[in-house]
Amino acid sequence: MKSVSELTDFYYKNLFPALEKLESDRKSLRHRIIFIAIAYTALFAVIAYALGNFYEFIIFAYIALGAIMYRFLVHDYTHEFKMSVIKPLVHAIDASLLYSSATHISEYLFEHSKLFSNPDKMSGNDYVKGQIDGINIQFSDIHAQKKNQNSKGRDTWSTIFQGLFIVADFNKHFSGETVILPDTAQSTFGNVIGHWLQTNNAARDELVKMDDPAFEKEFVVYSTDQIEARYILSHSLMKKLLDFKHKSKHSVYISFIGTNIYIAISYGKDLFEPSIFHSLLDYKVAMEYVKTLHLAIGVVEELKLNQKLWSKI
Amino acid sequence: MSMPFIILLVLAIVLVLMYNSLVAKKNQVENIFASVDAVLKKRYDLIPNLVASVSKYMEHEKSLLEEVTKLRAEATKPNLNDANKIALDAKISSALGSIMVAVESYPELKANENVMHLQHTLHEVEEQISAARRAYNQSVTDYNNSIEMLPTSFMASLMNYRRKQVFEIVDDERKNIDVKELFS
Repeated sequence: MKSVSELTDFYYKNLFPALEKLESDRKSLRHRIIFIAIAYTALFAVIAYALGNFYEFIIFAYIALGAIMYRFLVHDYTHEFKMSVIKPLVHAIDASLLYSSATHISEYLFEHSKLFSNPDKMSGNDYVKGQIDGINIQFSDIHAQKKNQNSKGRDTWSTIFQGLFIVADFNKHFSGETVILPDTAQSTFGNVIGHWLQTNNAARDELVKMDDPAFEKEFVVYSTDQIEARYILSHSLMKKLLDFKHKSKHSVYISFIGTNIYIAISYGKDLFEPSIFHSLLDYKVAMEYVKTLHLAIGVVEELKLNQKLWSKI
Repeated sequence: MSMPFIILLVLAIVLVLMYNSLVAKKNQVENIFASVDAVLKKRYDLIPNLVASVSKYMEHEKSLLEEVTKLRAEATKPNLNDANKIALDAKISSALGSIMVAVESYPELKANENVMHLQHTLHEVEEQISAARRAYNQSVTDYNNSIEMLPTSFMASLMNYRRKQVFEIVDDERKNIDVKELFS
């Protein structure tokens, strides 16, 4: 697999013509957005002034209509960007991978991972699927939301998870379910109370205490089978998962269910979207696309999922 | 309700909780040991096969093979206590490790499909044993902590609970993992 620096080279060299074109599109789009935003805001200010009432409704309409207009304005540019930047980047990593800008990981897989509560609404995009070293892997951007009702009886949506969701074959056979979550209880409430809370977490299976202090500090493990959890989480895999977590710099959720490993990285934003107010040639912007893709597709190599054990040959 | 009665009630609840948590920990240890036992048995079942397949070639290691066979016979005897099982497991691990190292110097054995298959199966079983052992050690540590730590230590001494022994990872075993890596 290509390294991050090779991919960065690819981004700046091979994609340069496409980026240049997108860059000029971006500049004119930015001007258009600023102009329309000013006119739009002025229009609403006039309406609000003329009516002298219904402020709540006007603000609501302003935000809702504004969001729709913004989407409409950036739609073409976004599509162009994905087809001429993200798609080639994915193919540069592995030519056999399939990329689809509009679809996402199925809701079934998301729910099957047991990482989060079942969402009422799920959206996402930038779906990548294929085989790396004979290991099936798929991932996409996911935004899962839950419907709540506030005190006024109005529906509000809260985010369950937003970020990258990866599903890959795992190289060991297992029959139980093992879930690894970020250790929020112990870091918030301290060891004693945090541990007590984790042991008594009714929504989860049995707590599994791992024998790697560094891993145990970052994660909490729940499983249906104490021994199987340790069979999956060998010392070397724990170390690799810890490295992966540090590399991703975000909260990481992992589960082992069926024949798969599920990894959810909580970025808290929509990934692989074109930047409109920063240059696409900006190193920071470029690195974000390259690093995120490299991290997702690199899972197979990083966690050595391609080293099949005898039992799985 | 009067004050002394409430105090007594709370005290009783605390005692019951302490008692139950100790019993739960003891049972957890026993439960996991049963699983350890099951995977250990899987390995013992492989030994006669392994010895039969390699003994034709391994002239110089006859004593080693005999030792493994003898250890296996001991380990499969009924009515062994946990501590003995743990000790025997350590010995068998190291003896099997030595056999695996010796296999390396016999090209005929390395070419033998049956031996290779056994070796892979053994590798897989070793991984399961290692997992079971770690689970056991964790449950024993929890158990030992609760019988030595306050406030449950008083209760534990009344119940006559004793410290249990953990599996120790022998140095030879680490070596034996390296050898297996060569085949993977």
